[in-house]
Amino acid sequence: MTRVLEASGMSVAFAGIRALDNVSVSVAAAERVGLIGPNGAGKTTLFNCLLGILRPDAGRVLLNGVDVGGWPAHRRARAGMGRTFQRVELFADTTVREHLLIAERVRNGTGAFWKDLIGRGRPTPDEVAVCDEVLELLGIAELADKPVESLSLGQSRLVEVGRALMTGPQVLLLDEPSSGLDRDETQVLADTLRAVQDTRGYAVLLVEHDVSLVADFTERTYVLDSGALIAEGSTADVLADPAVRRAYLGSFEVT
Amino acid sequence: MILASGFFEDLFRGILQGTPPGAVYALIALGFVLTYKTSGVFNLAFGAQAYISAAMYFKVHSVWGWPKWAALLVSVFVLAPLVGLVLERAIFRHLRTASAVSKLVVTIGLSVALPEIFNWAARFSAVAGRQITGIVPDGAGVYYDPFGVYRFNRDELAMMAVALAGTLLLAALFRFTMMGLSMRAVVESPRMTELSGINANRVSAFAWALSSTFAGMAGVLIAPRFNSLSSGDYFTLVIIAVAAAATGLLISLPRALLGGLGLGWFIAVFNTFLPGLADDHTWLRPFQENLTPSLPFVVLFAILVLWRAVGRQREASDPLAGVDPPPPALAALERHPKLTLFTRLFGVFFVTVVGLVVWFRADVLWMSLVTKAVIIALIYLSVTVITGMGGQISLCQGTFAAIGGFTVFQMADRFNMSVLAAALIGAALAAVVGALLSLPVLRLGGVWLAIATLAFAFFFDAVMVKFSWVGGGSTALLTGTQVPRPLIGPIDFASDRAFLVLAVVALVVVSVVVIQLREGTIGRTLAALRGSEVAAASIGISAARARIVAFAVSAAIAGLGGALLAMHQQNVNYALNFAPIVALFWLVVVVALGSRTVEGAIQAGAAFALFEPLILQGELLGWIVRGEERLPEFFPLSGNWRLILFGLMAMQFARHPEGLVEHGKRRSATRINGWLEAREARA
Repeated sequence: MTRVLEASGMSVAFAGIRALDNVSVSVAAAERVGLIGPNGAGKTTLFNCLLGILRPDAGRVLLNGVDVGGWPAHRRARAGMGRTFQRVELFADTTVREHLLIAERVRNGTGAFWKDLIGRGRPTPDEVAVCDEVLELLGIAELADKPVESLSLGQSRLVEVGRALMTGPQVLLLDEPSSGLDRDETQVLADTLRAVQDTRGYAVLLVEHDVSLVADFTERTYVLDSGALIAEGSTADVLADPAVRRAYLGSFEVT
Repeated sequence: MILASGFFEDLFRGILQGTPPGAVYALIALGFVLTYKTSGVFNLAFGAQAYISAAMYFKVHSVWGWPKWAALLVSVFVLAPLVGLVLERAIFRHLRTASAVSKLVVTIGLSVALPEIFNWAARFSAVAGRQITGIVPDGAGVYYDPFGVYRFNRDELAMMAVALAGTLLLAALFRFTMMGLSMRAVVESPRMTELSGINANRVSAFAWALSSTFAGMAGVLIAPRFNSLSSGDYFTLVIIAVAAAATGLLISLPRALLGGLGLGWFIAVFNTFLPGLADDHTWLRPFQENLTPSLPFVVLFAILVLWRAVGRQREASDPLAGVDPPPPALAALERHPKLTLFTRLFGVFFVTVVGLVVWFRADVLWMSLVTKAVIIALIYLSVTVITGMGGQISLCQGTFAAIGGFTVFQMADRFNMSVLAAALIGAALAAVVGALLSLPVLRLGGVWLAIATLAFAFFFDAVMVKFSWVGGGSTALLTGTQVPRPLIGPIDFASDRAFLVLAVVALVVVSVVVIQLREGTIGRTLAALRGSEVAAASIGISAARARIVAFAVSAAIAGLGGALLAMHQQNVNYALNFAPIVALFWLVVVVALGSRTVEGAIQAGAAFALFEPLILQGELLGWIVRGEERLPEFFPLSGNWRLILFGLMAMQFARHPEGLVEHGKRRSATRINGWLEAREARA
């Protein structure tokens, strides 16, 4: 099985505190992997290291077997790492479709400066078609011309997913997509994510607080606690693990 | 004397000499940090506030003949806090959750307008060649020489004593009082503080009054060091305060204090040693002459560029800012198509009528004014690119324009080159300078980027302009920089009418380019970056590359405009057209009227060039009442009104940070949409 994303030996210290201690995670092609852990476990730190927002003190990140350790975030994005944000990050003053259009333009790399000057920089019908296809897939086609300020949180998250999909990701990193959503909205999001992933066939790394979403969505799960991996394996096994339950200070129902 | 060796004695003397001004710098830096900490305002008008107190002190003591203590009381302990309170109440209270950049624009506006408003209200004019007295009797006369190397006069001792007292007072306030604690809380989040039962408005008002008192005190203390009272010197003072505050990352009061002292020492030591070095190494001489006045800017620029912590620091933002409604979309997006059609038709009609009137009826003066308005509008489009599209404040657009103007002058003067070709070279050169400048300052965020460009503008102003290969080597206003009008084959643009056509063509071309860029990849990339930098990176956008392009394009447009302006006036007129303070004025006009749209830039250009003759001198009214003799007696109004209205405009901008034109458009769009909907509902 080919590994799309492989991080090994990641360590980070903030002012002497070990935020990550020799953590290794990997995601295979088209696999759905979860990453859970209580607050302060180091989930966000690991996430940021994978994406190139934070430089780890030690460790390697391989994307399709290429060492991307020294690459800035935007280069990793072009190489196939898509992401969404826990606190929704959309571009103000632009419509839903424009979000996808700019991502498509960056991906296909046809935006030369001279083309702007002679008026060839506007979106082409092909680009619009590709974007509308993705909006259709996500079930938000009717929102295409809405300014993003008018969307609900759940819709905004779908726009983020759509924008990430436009980059043609091999692995999609989802940062707590359920935060701020209620149970029904989370369910809709999970269903959509699964349906889209089935058609598109990219891998997913889901960082999540809501264990039910992880149980529902992922095949394999890593558990972080105090900067170290305390469990990994198939999601059902991991969630049944007593050590994991202890880390979460109590029990939860696996549905 | 213990320090016998010459070098150490010089060094020691330099440090002693630098301590009194350093103490004043520290005082003003403390006030600056205090304002920033409690209201998030990067107050560039701080120098203007210091100027007001210093001028008031002079007026009360030297002109009215009041005793010094009374003058001090009136200027520092009454006027200064009052100014602070008024500013807080009228402007900054409404801006508490505004972006750091819009706050900065407002303070820039105030830094230009406040001294003028004071001068007009107090009928004060700058005094040159008169000794300005300090706060102690016989301040410049009696000397004290504790170490046998440097003689402090009384003024200098007063500076150090007052600065020390101010520092201790502030430390005690923060440490021991409830108000100090509240101030610290307000910094974190005004709204959360209010939720915990503290009146954030009162705390913020107190902080403004206090910091303004610091500014006023510093202004009065430092005045004897200047030859005359000029608001320009005080603007330099605020740059020093910014540099000192930057060493404390704008949050640490003790480090701001040390930073102020350190700058005083550095400047004095530098001035002690450089002349000697320049005697030995002649190549240093032009730098010695030019660098000394610009030292604060060089230091500031170096701190910003070299010290990585400044770039990493995020702007103070309110944790509860997320509860604010998002900024509304551009009015054009929600405008009814019929209204859009109507405004376009009206715009074409208006421009045609104005064009016809100017073409057939205008005399030489008016023709020239309209041409200037067109060229200024072109330069303002450079602000549309960097600020409207790129979301960044550049305070050196005047410098880019000057590069264009000087290139045309040099090329025509030395190589007898066609000025139009030279204008293109000038634009290209400005683009290169813009791109190079953007490289080191890119990692700086919002306000720091603006300050770095300001430092660059002042550096260019103090050093580069004086080189003969830039400004032609002449002094003063640099009026010796003759530029001919262009000549293409049989068409001679020496005629004002022909040149107006050329300017309009240039404006149209650049407008089209800007619109194309905005709709094209670059514009949409910049819009994404403006919206969210991390999200833009997550889809593969390189912020650095996009911003370098934005800087280069903006600089090229400004350079082209500068070249045209030089051709129009047949002289570069650096001090009048392109000096840093003029560029500050430009920025405020464009941003206040609307930096997002091309028509905003054009309206701003017209306002900048035509407001004074058209409105203040009563031309428009005279035309309406048909005959200048029928004008009311108070016309022509004083040019100061322009600056006062400019200040009012900055205040208006505080309430409508999207720009006044945009605000007006949105209001009319909402109204007409409502009207149309009502009509449809009836039908």
